[in-house]
Amino acid sequence: MLSRSQNLSVPEGTTALIRSLINERTGMSFDNGKSDLLIDKLSPLVIERGFSSYLDYYYLLKYDASAPVEWQNVMNALSVQETYFWREVDQIRGLVQTLVPQWHAKNPGATLRIWSAACATGEEPLTIAMALNEAGWFERTSIEILASDASSTAIQRAKAGIYRERAFRNLPPQLRDRYFESDDSGSRVRRDIHSRIKWSIANLMDETQVASLAAVDFIFCRNVFIYFSESAIGRVVRSFARFIRSPGYLFVGAAESLLRLTTDFNLIEVDDAFVYVKRERVI
Amino acid sequence: MRIRVDLKKNNLVSVAAKLVTNTQPTVGVFTTDTQLVIRVWDATLAQLTGIDEQTATGQALTALLPDLEKRGLLKRFQRTLNDGVVEVLATAFHRYLIPCAPATPSKHFDKMQQLVTIAPLRDGDTIAGVLVTVEDVTERLEHERELSKRLAEGDEATRLTAAETISDDASYDTTPLLDALSDESWKVRRAAIKGVSQRAAPEAIAALVSSVVENHHNPSLLNSALQVLTSSEVDTLSPLLELLESPDPDLRMQAALALGEKSDARAVDGLLKALQADDPNVRYHAIEALGKLKAADAVNALAEIVESKDFFVAFAALEALSKIGDARVAPRMMPLLEDELLREPAINLLGQLGDDSAVGPLTALLNTPASHADLIADALAALCDRYEELYGEGAYISDLTSHEVSPTGIQNLLDALETPGRNNLRSIALVLGWLKRPGVDRALTRLMGRDDLRDEIIEALVRHGSGTVELLIPQLRSEDLGVRRSAVVALGRLRDSRATHALIDTLAEKSLTLDVANALGQIGDPQALDGLLKLVGDEDASVRQAAVNALNSLAVSSMSERIIPLLNDPDPNVRESAAKIAGYFGYPESAGALIELSGDENERVRSAVIEHLPFVEDERVLDVLFRALKEETANVRAAAARALGNMDGSEVVQRLIEGLSDEDVWVRYFCARALGRLRSGASVEALKRVVEQEKFNHVRIAALDSLGQIGGKGVADVIGALVRDDDPDVARAAQVALGKSAGTTDHTN
Repeated sequence: MLSRSQNLSVPEGTTALIRSLINERTGMSFDNGKSDLLIDKLSPLVIERGFSSYLDYYYLLKYDASAPVEWQNVMNALSVQETYFWREVDQIRGLVQTLVPQWHAKNPGATLRIWSAACATGEEPLTIAMALNEAGWFERTSIEILASDASSTAIQRAKAGIYRERAFRNLPPQLRDRYFESDDSGSRVRRDIHSRIKWSIANLMDETQVASLAAVDFIFCRNVFIYFSESAIGRVVRSFARFIRSPGYLFVGAAESLLRLTTDFNLIEVDDAFVYVKRERVI
Repeated sequence: MRIRVDLKKNNLVSVAAKLVTNTQPTVGVFTTDTQLVIRVWDATLAQLTGIDEQTATGQALTALLPDLEKRGLLKRFQRTLNDGVVEVLATAFHRYLIPCAPATPSKHFDKMQQLVTIAPLRDGDTIAGVLVTVEDVTERLEHERELSKRLAEGDEATRLTAAETISDDASYDTTPLLDALSDESWKVRRAAIKGVSQRAAPEAIAALVSSVVENHHNPSLLNSALQVLTSSEVDTLSPLLELLESPDPDLRMQAALALGEKSDARAVDGLLKALQADDPNVRYHAIEALGKLKAADAVNALAEIVESKDFFVAFAALEALSKIGDARVAPRMMPLLEDELLREPAINLLGQLGDDSAVGPLTALLNTPASHADLIADALAALCDRYEELYGEGAYISDLTSHEVSPTGIQNLLDALETPGRNNLRSIALVLGWLKRPGVDRALTRLMGRDDLRDEIIEALVRHGSGTVELLIPQLRSEDLGVRRSAVVALGRLRDSRATHALIDTLAEKSLTLDVANALGQIGDPQALDGLLKLVGDEDASVRQAAVNALNSLAVSSMSERIIPLLNDPDPNVRESAAKIAGYFGYPESAGALIELSGDENERVRSAVIEHLPFVEDERVLDVLFRALKEETANVRAAAARALGNMDGSEVVQRLIEGLSDEDVWVRYFCARALGRLRSGASVEALKRVVEQEKFNHVRIAALDSLGQIGGKGVADVIGALVRDDDPDVARAAQVALGKSAGTTDHTN
């Protein structure tokens, strides 16, 4: 008759190991007193695997053949999916009213490509699609909108296209009426707008996944870097810079500044919004 | 005779490297004997100078170069011969050693510009002559001139490119950059600062200091120059200390500023002297610099400045004292709490440096209408943290505070809590938690919805004790989920059974179920039994586990009667939870049912049973576990391995050793871990094989860890070999195991 503890154990040093591994693979930072939050969020996964120690779970994530599947569970557990339509809309106005017309003038007949790189449950790419539609751009040029998130559950919900009340807190009522239909499950986005978006799962820390999506004219990566460590932000922005078209524009959240972290992009003001534009290299 | 060239100087090494690597050689070499008669004259030198080998060899150097003495160069050769030192003839002063035309026509030079190095040729301990390298640097100097010109005359982009080129290439002289420090473009100035500060020669620093003296009213130059002086790797302390003695107060002020950035304690004496300056700006910057240098010797002088209450410098002195961090100064600062102007920095300083004697004056101030409640709360919280960290006696500060604070003080804290725009509510909430007075807990419950304060508010309410239970229970019905969650957590922490029914009523709320189950477990009230049993079949594994943990903490005599029937429940989730509880309590009457359940159709149920069988007294248990380890699915085999780690006996060890060869990696992992728990010397060889041969590193790590627990002579070598393993996890595990094995009894016998 030995130990009877059924509580999950966190052997000394394990939290730091997990924190560092999570940062390395997902970019997310759980420093500065957020370790307890990380441990809490992972506990259902540890229990689900039948482990009683976080150290066992760390080894699973690091070495096991089933780790890729488990990482998806981790992304789902850690991702923040709280967002809403028409969020920080000044940037999207700048895109639709200024940058897209400029792009169109220079590239008549080409396909405009936009990537929403951390789209959560899809509110951002749908906002972009609605704004482009309002300005009549879908009739004037070929547009491709890509949207991805590291969380598979978020993408599942985005693909379903059904939203609850909190997602509409900033959307003008007339737009809600125009683009959404209500049923028992919630408000469903109009099919013709929803179908304009190609959804996928992508981890921004994986350059091979970024490479397949970032060859676009405009990247939206908003309100995700606030959860990332500085080194992870630097890494992601470098891979954006590597693959984005020229001149490529990068939109980050209002609370996120890249000025200290990158020399690959210049900050410019477009209408009332700040946007980063890829710096041209003189060879 | 074996001649050895003295290559101590880096530049000679680099020249030698060029000799080897340059495809178009620009470095020629000759040697002489002790009489300076030329012995070797190489082909490159012949090509560079046009003097062939036959002409040169055997000639005295003074014959070949008749003006050698007149130009002051002969003594440089003699110094190398006599003292063994390496001499470098800098191109900037000497231009050339051997007069000849440039290899290609030059715009600026009629003679080839040469960088010359003279090194001793050694034969054992004696100097047998000199080895001289002559490098043609004409082209580089030509380019340098061009860059200087562009730096002086070009547009901004041209000047910037020139400054960056000179900065980035260590072979260029940095002198042209000195003028660029006052360039009108900040980009050019930045490039110049970078170049000068990274590799400025002492003479350049001297020139810079002179320039500061002459041009210190030019803000661009002054700022740039000070940046160089503070960030240069060359020792700039002496020139800065000289500036600190300058009759010009502006210069002294700038020098003090720069010395503060240097992090060099040798500046302290000079700065202390500057505290006596007539000019208040000089004194101000000297005070700041002493603070930055954390100059303990300055404490007394700074305290005197504070006590002088000269507003202009007293603030800076208080800040400097905070940075220096000498606690002995705190009692002298207490009277400042009476001073309207210096009160705020004094409160801060007492929080940082004070001891328990500061609590009285701080709380006395808190009890007045002009309280600065937020700052005082910060100071008291800082004091408490420090006492907790240093002596484990944070409670001493909180008790003292609680004793001293009057109703006015409490009201001041509560008012501060409600004041919009306050951003240090954390400390206020913490201090309020210390004050067990009527009204305080009610005020705290009003803040329970604040995400940023949740932990502090819960902590404060828990400190207030069971008196807050009646206040918290209604909060379970708050509209705000954050408030409801905080109330659940706080009620759990208070362990008061008055909350049981209200918590059970909240169990149905999905977003709180887990927290409520945990809280009921903490309270341990038998009345929670029925509510918790409803959760043992929950579809969420975390909720089931929380319910199991909570039920395990209840002291209910009828528990076995309620649990054992659940072992046959149609829902596998219920059977799994029931098996965990029955196993935890080890009911003898459940043994048969549990053993039967080890053959359940559901794998998770079987795993739970197997894992908990070691806690059941029954002679069949061991056989069931052995069979499971051999015949079950991978997950159940892994559970069996974990379970066997809780059993005893040589056969258990043997079966676990066999398990180290299981086809499933996690079975091997848990067998390795279980063997560590059993600490049997009989498993050492098998574990060593795992460490050496296993494909998966986490299994090797488990084996390493177990070897560390077993300890003994034969273990240290295997572990020690992996301390520097390429995989940091393996290396770390080896280090930990090595430490453990050193502290264990030898179990190998």
